[in-house]
Amino acid sequence: MVKSPLQYAIETINLSREFTTEDGVFKALDNVNLKVRSGIIFGLLGPNGAGKTTLIRILSTLLLPTSGEAYVGGYNVVKEANKVRGIINLVSGGERPGYGILTTEENLMYYAQIYGFSRGEAKKRIEEVNELIGLDEFLHKRLNTLSTGMIQKYALARGLLNKPRILFLDEPTLGLDVENARVIRRLVRRLVDEGIIKTILLTSHYMAEVEELCDYIAIINKGRIIAGGTVEELKNMISKEVIYNIDVKAIDTPKLEFLKSIDSVIGYTVRMSNVSGEARIRIVMSYEDISRILDTLERNRIKILRIHQDRISLEDVFLKLVGRGITDE
Amino acid sequence: MNRIARILRPAFARAYVRIFGGFREKSWLFWEVILPTIFMSSIIFAYENLDAPKIFIGFVVLGTIMMNFWYNVLWGMGSVLYWEKETGNLEVYILTGSPLPSLLLGMALGGMFNTSIRSLAMILIGIFVFNAEFTPAYLPYALIIFFLTLFALYSMGMAFASLHLIYGRKGIRLNEVMGEPISFLSGQYYPINIFPTFIQSIASLMPITIGLDGVRRALILGVGFESLWLHMTLLVVMVFILFPLGIYIMSKIVEKGRKDGRLILRWI
Repeated sequence: MVKSPLQYAIETINLSREFTTEDGVFKALDNVNLKVRSGIIFGLLGPNGAGKTTLIRILSTLLLPTSGEAYVGGYNVVKEANKVRGIINLVSGGERPGYGILTTEENLMYYAQIYGFSRGEAKKRIEEVNELIGLDEFLHKRLNTLSTGMIQKYALARGLLNKPRILFLDEPTLGLDVENARVIRRLVRRLVDEGIIKTILLTSHYMAEVEELCDYIAIINKGRIIAGGTVEELKNMISKEVIYNIDVKAIDTPKLEFLKSIDSVIGYTVRMSNVSGEARIRIVMSYEDISRILDTLERNRIKILRIHQDRISLEDVFLKLVGRGITDE
Repeated sequence: MNRIARILRPAFARAYVRIFGGFREKSWLFWEVILPTIFMSSIIFAYENLDAPKIFIGFVVLGTIMMNFWYNVLWGMGSVLYWEKETGNLEVYILTGSPLPSLLLGMALGGMFNTSIRSLAMILIGIFVFNAEFTPAYLPYALIIFFLTLFALYSMGMAFASLHLIYGRKGIRLNEVMGEPISFLSGQYYPINIFPTFIQSIASLMPITIGLDGVRRALILGVGFESLWLHMTLLVVMVFILFPLGIYIMSKIVEKGRKDGRLILRWI
């Protein structure tokens, strides 16, 4: 048996994955080293295309790495794939595996039987999962009639059927409205707090989600882990920086390129509001230099509406490390 | 849990989806049972108008039924496996650690059930509408040959289905290549002895040809074991070769899929 020497719930050693495309070789993961303790929710934060899903696919044995090693529950994901599969499950947001023509209960019955449960055992397990997640409202409805929020609860229920020790959640609230996302987050937190799942590895590009849920966070960009720590530890990385929110009349984001030429500016993000017709520029500065920034904005005929200094968020950490916002393409 | 339960439970679960899911859309009876009998009927009408010997009606009925099962292998296993991948069901299945041949067995069993209903409709139409004549005395031999043929066909199906994982949508072309020419060579509507010996030899490499010939001999010509033992032996040999070969090809292709990333790649 190939056991991970340090017995982390998840461990990767110089893990890399390349894909060959028409444009050449694309490195999706580049020497990723992770150590995930048992009993926590571990967040993997990164923009689209950062390598989060590739990493989760390797850890869940669906994809082989090009080089390096990965262990889940102490088992090697390449050489002991079936042992890994016995202790994990994976739930991906925005996907709806199952059969639309069958009801939620029938779909769960299908997956339980695939795990080898008899019909009687499967029924009992579905009742347990139902009690935990709360599926009564749509247990007897066909999958193709469920709302996105219901689908995600169903997917989470499916992910718990085999009582996994380690659960991978790939963007679990993707496409959900605020209320449904909150419900899912609450459920995820409960799973670990009540010891139902030992360890959760969650990927997300929602800062608030990761900040709220995760005990430890790794930031991934272009296939590399660029920082790791608790929320506080990550925020401490920019404890000396100054952050301002500046509300202005709607503008074209490219027009703000001039901000990059100011020495003190580490980075900025722009959020447009379709309702108010305003934009919020969030600027991270290496030292207090707001008067110069305001002057520059005015000189470029940008109408400033409000300004206030803000506290550090994870988004600012990301901005400092990557030089752009997590949702900026 | 024993090994057999680990193989059969997923298979029955998948067959349930196919059978009970399918029954929820009653229109399938029209598409999959009524419509296919129309084409079979047109061939029979053509033979009747040409004053062909009466046994040709039975030839057409049995030929169409056996080809139904072959098409079920091509479309019910290969193409469905491709769609399982596209919908994300395949990766969830792989995560369970259950053997992939169980999934295919489930698809095959489900498809077999539907195909059997269609075949039953065809036999009934053949007997009661066109007065097809069959000899029931050698039905047990016909059934042995039929089930051996199915086993061989579904073993081939495993290999074809896994090719769909590699070729994606192009796999549908593979179905077409493996559909019509095999229907032509195996003698769906006629005995293959109308072909030159060389072509007959090539056609005989396919289990469907051997099976179809054997079933026709038993049920139409009324011959027994003394004439059918060779068919049975050939089919047993084919099963012994094709079944392990199917499993081997499937495991290699799944491993290649994990390596290339094709198991998780959609819309290819």
